[in-house]
Amino acid sequence: MANEKILIIDDDDDVAYAMRLPLQAAGYVVYRGASSEEGLRMVKQVNPDLIILDVMMDTTTAGFQVSLTLRNSSASSEYAAYRYVPILMLTAIHKTTPLRFGPNEEYLPVNAFLEKPIQPEALLEQVRKHLEEKPV
Amino acid sequence: MVSSTAWLISIRWWAGLGVLALTWLATMVLAINLPALPLYGIGLAILAYNAVFEVMRRRLLAEGLPHAWAFGQMTRLQIALDYVAMAALIHFSGGLESPATIYFIFHIIIAGTLLSPRATYLYTTLAVGLVGTTAALEYFGLWPHVRVPELANSGLYQKPLYALGNLFFFATALYVTAYLVATLNVRLRKRAAEVIELSERLRRAYSRLQTLYENAQAANSTLELAKVLDRFVQSTARAMGVRACSICLLDETGTRLNLGAAFGLSERYMSKGDLILEANPLAREVMAGRTIITADARTASDLQYPADAVAEGICSMLSAPMRGKEKPFGLLRAYSTERNHFSQEDAEFLAAIATQGSIAIENAMAFQALSQLNEGKSKFVLTVTHELRSPVGVIRSLLRTMLSGYTGPLADQQRDMVERALHRTDALQNLIDDLLDLAAGKSELGIPEERVKVRLDQAVEYVVKQFQIPAQEKQIRLEWHCEPANRSLLISATHEGIERVLGNLVSNAVKYTRPEGCVQLRLRRTDSEIYLQVSDTGIGIPEEAVPHICEEFYRAPNAKAIEKEGTGLGLAIVKNLVEHWGGRITVESKLGQGTTFTLIFPTVRD
Repeated sequence: MANEKILIIDDDDDVAYAMRLPLQAAGYVVYRGASSEEGLRMVKQVNPDLIILDVMMDTTTAGFQVSLTLRNSSASSEYAAYRYVPILMLTAIHKTTPLRFGPNEEYLPVNAFLEKPIQPEALLEQVRKHLEEKPV
Repeated sequence: MVSSTAWLISIRWWAGLGVLALTWLATMVLAINLPALPLYGIGLAILAYNAVFEVMRRRLLAEGLPHAWAFGQMTRLQIALDYVAMAALIHFSGGLESPATIYFIFHIIIAGTLLSPRATYLYTTLAVGLVGTTAALEYFGLWPHVRVPELANSGLYQKPLYALGNLFFFATALYVTAYLVATLNVRLRKRAAEVIELSERLRRAYSRLQTLYENAQAANSTLELAKVLDRFVQSTARAMGVRACSICLLDETGTRLNLGAAFGLSERYMSKGDLILEANPLAREVMAGRTIITADARTASDLQYPADAVAEGICSMLSAPMRGKEKPFGLLRAYSTERNHFSQEDAEFLAAIATQGSIAIENAMAFQALSQLNEGKSKFVLTVTHELRSPVGVIRSLLRTMLSGYTGPLADQQRDMVERALHRTDALQNLIDDLLDLAAGKSELGIPEERVKVRLDQAVEYVVKQFQIPAQEKQIRLEWHCEPANRSLLISATHEGIERVLGNLVSNAVKYTRPEGCVQLRLRRTDSEIYLQVSDTGIGIPEEAVPHICEEFYRAPNAKAIEKEGTGLGLAIVKNLVEHWGGRITVESKLGQGTTFTLIFPTVRD
């Protein structure tokens, strides 16, 4: 179970730090990409077992773009190999923000949402759950 | 003409009967040697053609629209026949020697009363001609003279001087009568026309007063600037009875007027451009406070867009200043498709309309400025709270990570401090969330969700279920009733919003009600509204606090004593949302006994 690779794609150092500590304590190897581009590059480099993805980075929907790129259904996509990597999406989107999404396979292919602020226990539980469910 | 025809006919009955009666009197009683037969014949003929005219008159009337022209012709024909009858009467009663000649004066008066002066003189000439011809025929022996020795010296008709003299006085009497009647009649008719004109002017003045009043009502019925302007130009065009009306408002620079609203003008004309004071002498004059009549747009030299006006079919214009408290702020203009349409009276009327409308428009402009300011404030709060939200979230994440021991074990005091810090940031987070809700609700940016039809009874049931556990923990009875309603309880709102509204009200009620108390929700509907009451048996709101209870950041002192923390924004959000959906909220409370909030929503159809 340990030594599984987790990639955090988040532009906020502090949030990344707050997540890194409990994940490392639980024995995971944690990588981080500080932007959508760096994140996508890291996916290919690291081949993570699970991705934690922030919604709002350089643009309000950057996280959505990353998840759509990774889950692109075409077999010729350069990310085709990473299609089934579970994605946990971090949201702090308040209900009155114009953009509202719920997990929906069709439009937003992510496995679960994590609400900010991070609750370390809840984070670890979600990570464990989705690593176990990960299709082989 | 219709009534005068009837009048003429009614007189003629008497004339005909008079001829018959006089003939009888003269021949039978006075034994005057008159040709009775022809005279009776004339009397009967008069009665006969009068009967024909009466039948014609009735028929024309029965046809519905009485034809003025037909009645005119009839009158002329009647008078002509009367003249012929009169001439015959004169002939058979002694020609020039007959005392009946004087009766022609009646006919002249009748013609003068009913017909134009020209026609009167024409008929006078006809009368003189008829009598003159009769006299001439008798003189030359072409028509046998009827001798009436009892009445006149026989043979006088053969004395040329007598005949000519008699004829001369007869003619002059008739002409003078014709002149007098015609002149008097012209004066009378002029007077009558003046009375008609005067009453028409009075009617117009009344209708203008009425429209002025309606204008004021239309303009004052709303505070929305665009609507005020629209209604104002529309009702002004109606009041002035013209095709189009527009209002131009001075911009911030004070150098140009741009179109505020228009009625009855084409898209093309409206987009012709702003009125630039420097290039528009007329607009300059108006902005200096004068009302200007442009009698003919084609020849006016003080217009900025004369060609456009001509192309639009505008021939004359009337422009009046809209005056604010300090200086003119706009130009009101009426457009007519006729040249020289506007009188000085119109100018005064438009100026009055402008003065009156200015107040309503200035109010609306002030209201718009305030609304924009308020909107700006809400946007500012929205932006700031968005910016605050993220770092507060990060601080909470970091503190929680530390509290969970991932940074190493914490000493008791350290743990206590981190917990306190986390507690305060949690409160801060709540405040920010409430502020966001409030600002979003007030700003056009916010509440992005489309309103939908929400079943209020379902929403109440859902929220009541959510609060059952906290209520039970405090041993508070939480229940809801819905008055038997087979009618729909649909309102226009958002699901999330209504949950927030109900959640806020119920959580307050539970929070400020002592154990063993009771919180009740009641739903009922009337034809047009749905009432939701949330009542508790709680601590109540002090009387002086009731008016402020829905104000932002306001918390009643007794509520603060019970619950230290609280943003004071919950009820402001509730009020804001309810009003946003077209509803309203009222509060009743008695200190120490309880509080009832009543939400009133307009119903919506299925």
